[in-house]
Amino acid sequence: MEHIYQYTWIIPFLPLQVPLLIGAGLFFFPTATKNLRRIWAFSSISLLSIVMIFSIKLSIQQINSNSIYQYVWSWTINNDFSLEFGYLLDPLTSIMLILITTVAILVLVYSDNYMSHDQGYLRFFAYMSFFNTSMLGLVTSSNLIQIYIFWELVGMCSYLLIGFWFTRPIAANACQKAFVTNRVGDFGLLLGILGLYWITGSFEFRDLFEIVNNLIKTNEVNSLFFILCAFLLFLGAVAKSAQFPLHVWLPDAMEGPTPISALIHAATMVAAGIFLVARLLPLFIVIPYIMYGISVIGIITVLLGATLALAQKDIKRSLAYSTMSQLGYMMLALGMGSYRVALFHLITHAYSKALLFLGSGSLIHSMETLVGYSPDKSQNMVLMGGLRKHVPITKIAFLIGTLSLSGIPPLACFWSKDEILNDSLVYSPIFAIIAYFTAGLTAFYMFRIYLLTFEGHFNFFLKNYSGKKSSSFSSISLWGKEELKSINPKFPLLNLLTINNKRKSSFFSKKLYKIDGNLTKKIRSFITNTHFDNKDFSSYPNESDNTMLFPLIILILFTLFIGFIGISFNQEGMDLDILTRWLTPSINLLHSNLNNSGGWYDFVINATFSVSIAYLGIFIAFFCYKPVYSSFQNFDLINSFDKTGQKRIFGDKIITIIYNWSFNRGYVDAFYGIFLIKGIRGLAELVSFFDRRIIDGIPNGFGVTSFFIGEGIKYGGGGRISSYLFWYLFYVSIFLILYYVYID
Amino acid sequence: MLDFFYRQKPVPKKKWISFWVRVFLAQVYLVFTTNHFPWLTTIVVLPIFAGSLIFLFPHKGNKVIRWYTICVCILELLLTTYAFCYHFQPDDPLIQLAEDYKWINFFDFHWRLGIDGLSIGPILLTGFITTLATLEAWPVTRDSRLFHFLMLAMYSGQIGLFSSRDLLLFFIMWELELIPVYLLLSMWGGKKRLYSATKFILYTAGGSIFLLMGVLGVSLYGSNEPTLNLETLVNQSYLVTLEIIFYIGFFIAFAVKLPIIPLHTWLPDTHGEAHYSTCMLLAGILLKMGAYGLIRINMELLPHAHSLFSPWLMIIGTIQIIYAALTSPGQRNLKKRIAYSSVSHMGFIIIGISSITDTGLNGAILQIISHGFIGAALFFLAGTSYDRIRLVYLDEMGGIGIPMPKIFTLFSSFSMASLALPGMSGFIAELIVFFGIITSQKYLLIAKILITFGMAIGMILTPIYSLSMSRQMFYGYKLFNITNSSFFDLDHASCLFRLLFFYQ
Repeated sequence: MEHIYQYTWIIPFLPLQVPLLIGAGLFFFPTATKNLRRIWAFSSISLLSIVMIFSIKLSIQQINSNSIYQYVWSWTINNDFSLEFGYLLDPLTSIMLILITTVAILVLVYSDNYMSHDQGYLRFFAYMSFFNTSMLGLVTSSNLIQIYIFWELVGMCSYLLIGFWFTRPIAANACQKAFVTNRVGDFGLLLGILGLYWITGSFEFRDLFEIVNNLIKTNEVNSLFFILCAFLLFLGAVAKSAQFPLHVWLPDAMEGPTPISALIHAATMVAAGIFLVARLLPLFIVIPYIMYGISVIGIITVLLGATLALAQKDIKRSLAYSTMSQLGYMMLALGMGSYRVALFHLITHAYSKALLFLGSGSLIHSMETLVGYSPDKSQNMVLMGGLRKHVPITKIAFLIGTLSLSGIPPLACFWSKDEILNDSLVYSPIFAIIAYFTAGLTAFYMFRIYLLTFEGHFNFFLKNYSGKKSSSFSSISLWGKEELKSINPKFPLLNLLTINNKRKSSFFSKKLYKIDGNLTKKIRSFITNTHFDNKDFSSYPNESDNTMLFPLIILILFTLFIGFIGISFNQEGMDLDILTRWLTPSINLLHSNLNNSGGWYDFVINATFSVSIAYLGIFIAFFCYKPVYSSFQNFDLINSFDKTGQKRIFGDKIITIIYNWSFNRGYVDAFYGIFLIKGIRGLAELVSFFDRRIIDGIPNGFGVTSFFIGEGIKYGGGGRISSYLFWYLFYVSIFLILYYVYID
Repeated sequence: MLDFFYRQKPVPKKKWISFWVRVFLAQVYLVFTTNHFPWLTTIVVLPIFAGSLIFLFPHKGNKVIRWYTICVCILELLLTTYAFCYHFQPDDPLIQLAEDYKWINFFDFHWRLGIDGLSIGPILLTGFITTLATLEAWPVTRDSRLFHFLMLAMYSGQIGLFSSRDLLLFFIMWELELIPVYLLLSMWGGKKRLYSATKFILYTAGGSIFLLMGVLGVSLYGSNEPTLNLETLVNQSYLVTLEIIFYIGFFIAFAVKLPIIPLHTWLPDTHGEAHYSTCMLLAGILLKMGAYGLIRINMELLPHAHSLFSPWLMIIGTIQIIYAALTSPGQRNLKKRIAYSSVSHMGFIIIGISSITDTGLNGAILQIISHGFIGAALFFLAGTSYDRIRLVYLDEMGGIGIPMPKIFTLFSSFSMASLALPGMSGFIAELIVFFGIITSQKYLLIAKILITFGMAIGMILTPIYSLSMSRQMFYGYKLFNITNSSFFDLDHASCLFRLLFFYQ
């Protein structure tokens, strides 16, 4: 079966057919294409399944044979310069391939239902498939230029998908923000690639590593320049993986549809930065400064993400900050040189976070039928609560994801996070303290989300009673269809409700964007009225369809069992776990230390410690957000802390500070808003003023001056011969007088 | 369009065609298939000749004139393509399809045409863009006779410029180009058209003076007989100071046209006022004439001065990329914003030319062609959306993505191309320019780092203006009161455009 590797190039091209065909179809035969929408979805899923089977087969061979394959085609631009395109198949690639394809298939299945009433259903699938193409291309690429190309393409897909609902101004701003922030990273990546090319004369990874190693050994390279290049390369990873200075785009990216957040902004694309650093680790590892820098950036992000997630109201934003924090863990692990652990956490986190996002998507989908399509409402945790009874399967899924992310054994993230924490303990005590502390914070904020969402009472109606929300309650239609398709105005409201009872979700999601605001308000008030005594179940959110629950269940299974690929069951350390066996060639490449120091005893000690920290976090979360009946108040973090008299003021202050810090997103966005955006705007105004007034002013000034001179001369030369003669004689006489005066 | 072709279909030949007619046809066939046929002269003269026939047309409305012009454009494009396919050897580095006719005896002025690999791209680009611009000019009804004649005259001038092998002919074609643009601008422009047109003509005519001085200086140097032939001039060497003076003279002329800061201010004004079809021609071809001249004359004829000046050119190019990219977001007018983006992209051409490497030059040529397409396409789309919503200022627009999904798609893809997204032509061009600098032997390490850094900053600034342009136009939501039937979609004029542009 040697020859199967030859066909690896087909991997990115298989899913590419769907966007091409959909695009062509939408352009030339819009109606026919739209009628076939399910077929398109089905074909994209099945193509992706082929890729998945193929890559699983490749990985099995990879595990057994431990070899690396590379094929290259060359594209000559001119005699002394050519680009090479090809694919590289090594353990890292095969892991990423399996990860991407499995998550992508589940998300596609899920989004078939999630997007089913959206007008942009086909566009969505086209973008998704294109994203899959470029992501698969990214992980299989064999040189840096290819990486850069696909890097930009995934960025573009992310841009398109964040701005998917382009009628929303917030989404429009968010997608531009994401693209520009990522472009800053691309700027670094491109410069780094060019710099490395200059040093080594090659783009290809393996040549690159060898040449760099030789150069470093013989000390031939300007080390400052080399560090600069490596740093610039890392900048690309920082932007894509939402690490500290460039993380601002990720929370805003949650404006996109939820399946996007699950696939792109939690599982795959944001992991591309981790992938890049892992790929280039042999390069970074020769310079200790860079490794140190990577781990510092990682640890800052870990802490920042966790603190920012503390007081978010929007469920997806909290999850986004949590993603950022977990990516920080991976970056930290890479900075510490623990290649295997970083990848392990990448895998486990991808499945857990995809599960969480899909779960939250299911919640949002149910909430949307009640509160409207505005993300301020449907994703607002203030309006949720008490959903445990109404969406049981989603609740289980979400709980498992939460437990996994908090690091409770035996779920997936426990294993990987525990290893990262262990490694950090070896690496540096300060980092270890921060990492452990953040593990507690993680448990805290994850359970905060869980408790606010699922426990207590359904808060939406409570909000309505206060009278604040009811006036602003015009559900913004998604596509802004203003054509008032008056759906039977004489339709009795009671009748509406009975239909509602039978198939609520479908009714609302289909029709809501066609109802004009007035009617919606009527329905709303009707529902709130009937709901006064909390007996009518119809106005509670409902469980989603099976198509959406199926991926959730599969992901639950993944979350439960994926952790076992990284555990070594044999005490001797002889029989390595699957992941290590998988990664053996790359690890050898890195000369990493493979000593599994300790064994079960140490492991249990460390695990106990980390698990107890996680439990502490969970306990505090229960303490703060425990479901009391006045669930209204307990959202405010401050109120729940008023226990003791004297300490209260001090404690309140700290908590207010933390709350404000978190709520204002750590003031980073505000900082960028003031300094960068205003700065660039001001600069643009200044430059265009300069352009208009000064550069353009000079020719205009010439024009005006020549106009005045001409007018003056015209005025002077009035065309009267007598005046000409007068002036002529006048000057001649002056000349003569002067002549005679000076002669004498 | 098809029915027109059917009407124009030649009458089927009768069986009883006489022997002599057959012989004549065979001769014509032979002439067409052999190399002796004056392909370039035909290509250059055909548009203006066919255009002057427009005035003989009966007054039967604008439709006939439009179709006629489009057909002439397409015929010309096909002819060019045919000639280049069958009579041009791509592996031959010398001048091909050369023609040489003596025109004016006493100072040795020849009608001397010829093309090589450098000029083949701009010529094909010209044919393509002019055809599209004629399509874009569909709504023009006022004095459409003159309008279309001017378009065709411009066509001739541009192709003549790109294919001339004689310095004076080059100059004449250069000047021939200006008059149609001036008239198009001053007669079919916006509110401030006279101001813009005057500015345009003053700037470009001012540049032409320097061009003329340069041409005369170069041709009269060192011999009694004026030499205008580019081939012989290439081998001529000059005194260093004189060469520098010639270089500066030519450079000013081309810098106005390209444009290079600080001589660029005519461009936004002209773009802001001109009709969209004129804008397409301006952005697509006219600017490229400056770049072509820079390569053809400054680089080939005056290589020593070029290597002296190229560091400064690089600095200017870098400043230009950043400067124009910063000016662009400050503009309210959509067309001015696109115009500044053109100025910014021209910086890459300057850098590519002045990197003095083959790679960099290749990148510059590729950028000429790719920006020709992208800039023209952006103006085309701006024009088509203007025809539908009648808004010019960006802050008044918004939310037209829903009613015009196709324009939205195209505009997004072209703004992506303009910000050099991989897979689009702009990316390859800019990447090759980058490599040109990196592999250049001439410059110091620090200088290269700084230049590359500056170009890459331009790469960050580009999405800021181009994406915010597309955001302000298409994103968001707004209700339109216009109940025009042609409002909601691309019409037939754009169908062809769609087909043609998608190969990019």
